[in-house]
Amino acid sequence: MAHAAQVGLQDATSPIMEELITFHDHALMIIFLICSLVLYALFLTLTTKLTNTNISDAQEMETVWTILPAIILVLIALPSLRILYMTDEVNDPSLTIKSIGHQWYWTYEYTDYGGLIFNSYMLPPLFLEPGDLRLLDVDNRVVLPIEAPIRMMITSQDVLHSWAVPTLGLKTDAIPGRLNQTTFTATRPGVYYGQCSEICGANHSFMPIVLELIPLKIFEMGPVFTL
Amino acid sequence: MAAPPEPGEPEERKLLGFLDVENTPCARHSILYGSLGSVVAGFGHFLFTSRIRRSCDVGVGGFILVTLGCWFHCRYNYAKQRIQERIAREEIKKKILYEGTHLDPERKHNGSSSN
Repeated sequence: MAHAAQVGLQDATSPIMEELITFHDHALMIIFLICSLVLYALFLTLTTKLTNTNISDAQEMETVWTILPAIILVLIALPSLRILYMTDEVNDPSLTIKSIGHQWYWTYEYTDYGGLIFNSYMLPPLFLEPGDLRLLDVDNRVVLPIEAPIRMMITSQDVLHSWAVPTLGLKTDAIPGRLNQTTFTATRPGVYYGQCSEICGANHSFMPIVLELIPLKIFEMGPVFTL
Repeated sequence: MAAPPEPGEPEERKLLGFLDVENTPCARHSILYGSLGSVVAGFGHFLFTSRIRRSCDVGVGGFILVTLGCWFHCRYNYAKQRIQERIAREEIKKKILYEGTHLDPERKHNGSSSN
């Protein structure tokens, strides 16, 4: 989860998120260099003593400041498109989970190997145990295995919601009447948090998502089915 | 990368307020080499031409080009290293799982070489 006043991305828990962080670093470095150049140009503009009222054209400068931004955009677009297509790959998922958004909780359905369906409500502050996270912890977590491709089918029963888990690089809209699909493979065990990311009413901020990722061997023993 | 700063650690500093050079792989290395390249290019140009303004322009241009070049070179090697680490990790895992069984690739290889 994010720590207080965190601005940057969370640590990656999936290969896609690792790629997104790499791309983010790449884009930030380019932005930094552009900002440095602009700051230098601003400094020159503010400190020059020259005044020339007879400038009529500047063909070379105009060529440079057209070609250079085009090159910069290509340098940013190529890795971006690569990741975009990577996120659309579907690698034969081992498990499919349905996630249904309601006002203001999530319902999860594990129907591959049985008929497990449960709701996931945020824990009200009065029900928090010591160590629980306010506004983030839920009564029933989504328990999933690591190192196995998982497909999430996301929809909504009423208004728009969005199922987001930043550390996995996931954000998919839950749209009533439509089934959206996203896949991911988690690389390390742990408890990961997300929050609804589409305004959906009064308690939009109070319907978090909590994933509990456990080793496959333990998942196969069936803890998720003992609710 | 996203861990909060420990009490004993110095506060994180970001260049221009957003580039975290300490936690971004290759950033510190690229900025340092870029700065060195900027000083060398700018000062070298000044030594040959004695033009201050143009030398500053060359210095800034050198900074951008050297930083960008170091960045791409370092990130390419970093990506190659990550791929090699991932392959090594998978192979170690497979070796642990399959050692001594009929699926052990070393056993298959030794068997075929002895035949």
